[in-house]
Amino acid sequence: MNPRPWWRRAGHAGLLLVATVYCVFPIYFMFVQSLKTAQEDVFGNPFIVTNPTLENFEELFERKGQPRNFVGRALRRDYPFFVWLENTIVIFGGSVAITLAAGVAAAYALGRLQPPGFRWWRRAIFATYVVPHTILFVPLYQVIIRLGLDDNPVVLLLVYPTMALPFCVWILSAYFQNLPREIEESALVEGASRAAAFYRIVLPMSRPVLIAAGIFALGTIASDFMIASVFLLSEHNQTIPAGLATMEVALDELLAVAGINLMAIPVVLLCAVFARGYVRGLTAAMIEGA
Amino acid sequence: MATAYLLLAPATVLLLGMLAYPLGWEVWISFTDFSPLNDHGPRFVGLENYRHLLADAEFWRAVVVTVGFAAATTLAKLALGVAFALLLARPFRGRTLVFLAIFLPWAYPASVSVIGWYWTLSPPIPTAYSPFMGTLKYTVDGALGGGAWAFLSVTLFNIWRGSSFIGVFLLAGINAVPPELFECALLESRSAWRRFWLVTVPLLRPFLALAVFLSLTTAFADLANVWLLTAGRVVFPVVGTQAYWLAIKGGQFGPASALSLMLVPFLLAVLALLFRAFDPPAEARA
Repeated sequence: MNPRPWWRRAGHAGLLLVATVYCVFPIYFMFVQSLKTAQEDVFGNPFIVTNPTLENFEELFERKGQPRNFVGRALRRDYPFFVWLENTIVIFGGSVAITLAAGVAAAYALGRLQPPGFRWWRRAIFATYVVPHTILFVPLYQVIIRLGLDDNPVVLLLVYPTMALPFCVWILSAYFQNLPREIEESALVEGASRAAAFYRIVLPMSRPVLIAAGIFALGTIASDFMIASVFLLSEHNQTIPAGLATMEVALDELLAVAGINLMAIPVVLLCAVFARGYVRGLTAAMIEGA
Repeated sequence: MATAYLLLAPATVLLLGMLAYPLGWEVWISFTDFSPLNDHGPRFVGLENYRHLLADAEFWRAVVVTVGFAAATTLAKLALGVAFALLLARPFRGRTLVFLAIFLPWAYPASVSVIGWYWTLSPPIPTAYSPFMGTLKYTVDGALGGGAWAFLSVTLFNIWRGSSFIGVFLLAGINAVPPELFECALLESRSAWRRFWLVTVPLLRPFLALAVFLSLTTAFADLANVWLLTAGRVVFPVVGTQAYWLAIKGGQFGPASALSLMLVPFLLAVLALLFRAFDPPAEARA
């Protein structure tokens, strides 16, 4: 490529800068707030922090009943943040695992074994996205009460996978469908069982697509706020998003912001580690025919 | 074949139990006058609930807001997403960093960032930035009516997060297109604008279609998030939230079900159109 004139390069750099600031600024802003003391929150510059402190984070983990060194303590509730954290880890981890297990199984059946009408089956699974969960609260509650899972975190392990499954099945089956058949067949000829051939050969080859499906599932599940807050009512059953939403923001703004960051940082780090794999996996699925 | 059905079972059972069954129940209830306030069970009333809705001015307002919101956010997300993807398509120094920055808004869990966004844009507390935000809020609300600023902030949030997803998604799409095709185009036409419309867009069509569809489905979730977050204090009549209100507060399950189902034909039509756009290549090859 011939060297581009300086104004084109400057324009490109300028656009990159604008894009970066646009994407990162709100996150930076939330992060900065979480490091502030109450004094600085009120009187300081909103964009920077001069005396960063971790006391908001520490306060989140303080046990119930322990005195706090803030005024107006009588008005403020205690939050079982540690319990929320545990619930969140279990529910997110479990949901992603269920999504991947059910998704890989279904995608293998649709892409590899191809039962009659598999194309329609796959379309039907994808088409479930036309039903926003927003409109299903009331009937979903009927199902949940009938299952005896009212106010039980297990509900989320059942509902969350349905939010990510359609997309995961779609990309995984597109990928499986177009993997050359010979790969598996040579193993089958040598006497391996279908399951062994899948486990030893197909699965390792699908690593990028599995990563893409997993990150998509995590991102989708971590973005849910309504299902958690509608179905989990008691404090000790809630996940972080549902719990944070019950905070009295007028009194505990800094605490809430710290909670937001505490939940977001691990998820973001996980996504960042696998970001390249995510793109590679999506690309692989797309090359094989979306 | 038995194995195939066995493997399909977990996903199918989950989707049937948590989506199809509730949906079926909702369809049935929408034809009845079911309400926990009545002492009799659901009674079939035919299309009565739907007839009422169509005659209701409030319903049409909600439809306009819903469709307008979905269309506006989708267009903005697509435009920004395409721009991000094209910016990242060619290698340059620091590309990884810019890529990660663009990936961030989607990776940052929306369940909590929506809380942060919302309270930052409408701060109820004496933080250093609340005077500024308050002024902004009252200016917008004064010009466009109460609740406009809250609605606008959800719109901005949805665009911010959605454009990140679409950008990364389309970047993967661009990577999936053989680079020779873009190089040929470079020889054919010198105008970048023409190349964009004649080559890039058609090549990315299936991915654009998928991205549009996925973005539409999240648009509704974001609205509901904020609506619930503010315990329904923020008033913007949207189909989904209006229905929830009607069911929970009014106890009118029948009309509420009819109302929420009104969204589905609209989304189905969009999906059918999109299937035409992104399915044929895969089927032709299979």
